[in-house]
Amino acid sequence: MKTVNYQLKRKLNEIFIVEPNDLGMRFLTLGYKFLVRYLKTAPFLIIVPFSFLLGYLLYLFFGFLIVRLVTLLQYGF
Amino acid sequence: MDFRLKVNFKKSFIDLITSLIFVFKNFFGLIFFPYKTLRRLSFEKDYYQSFFIFFLIFCYFKFVYFLKDKPYPATFNFLVFFANFFLTLLFFYYLSLILNKKRKDISFLSLFFTFSYSLFPTLIWFGSVSFLYIILPPPRTTSTLGIFFSIFFLAYSFSLLAWKLILVFLSLRFSLKLNFYQIIYLLILYLLWFLPYSIILYRFKIFKIPFI
Repeated sequence: MKTVNYQLKRKLNEIFIVEPNDLGMRFLTLGYKFLVRYLKTAPFLIIVPFSFLLGYLLYLFFGFLIVRLVTLLQYGF
Repeated sequence: MDFRLKVNFKKSFIDLITSLIFVFKNFFGLIFFPYKTLRRLSFEKDYYQSFFIFFLIFCYFKFVYFLKDKPYPATFNFLVFFANFFLTLLFFYYLSLILNKKRKDISFLSLFFTFSYSLFPTLIWFGSVSFLYIILPPPRTTSTLGIFFSIFFLAYSFSLLAWKLILVFLSLRFSLKLNFYQIIYLLILYLLWFLPYSIILYRFKIFKIPFI
């Protein structure tokens, strides 16, 4: 019982390490919480498709310049 | 008087292996549950884990030394990276002391720990790009395959950048107890000096893209 209490206290201390974010305006705070909900667990499920979409949009907008950008990035290490 | 140094090598070895296992566990935790993992890591005190991460980075610099043309010694590059890393930590730590009223809750060692874990996306990007340099060296062409690869590479880079930003944000949030606006403010201030500093590093051919 003491172990369970200790672990529960430790978990509660960990969860309440910071206060919840308040962005000042209610709609901003709600929007922030809505976006962040998908980034807290397995964010790659959102990030990877968006990245491919962004890459494709860059190609539509800039055309073959993205090939030059990628060449530059490949030398970037 | 007996001055023999008593080192329990068996215990130290077990501690090292345990820390290595935790590094792998936390790495996968950062991919699938970054929020909960970094929140837990902000309480962590096992500095062998940070040692492994920096050792991996040192191995990367050693590997890349053989790919570059007229490079600086790998140890020099690693020391410059380490200095940049500490400059970054000191910047965020001392500014957070000004911004945050609850100073006793802020821990430099916690920031060091969480920030060292946030180096994983950087290490993965640089490692994969240097590996690609061997198997698929630039320049890229404007053929169909070249364009597909370019879109894929950009998506890969954006994904890792987004992951990096998430980990940096969470590191600052949990280690320095800052709110959203304070973190954005600090990041803008950070970029104001870090971008010109990166250009200086580029001019001296130390880092083309800053390793941070």
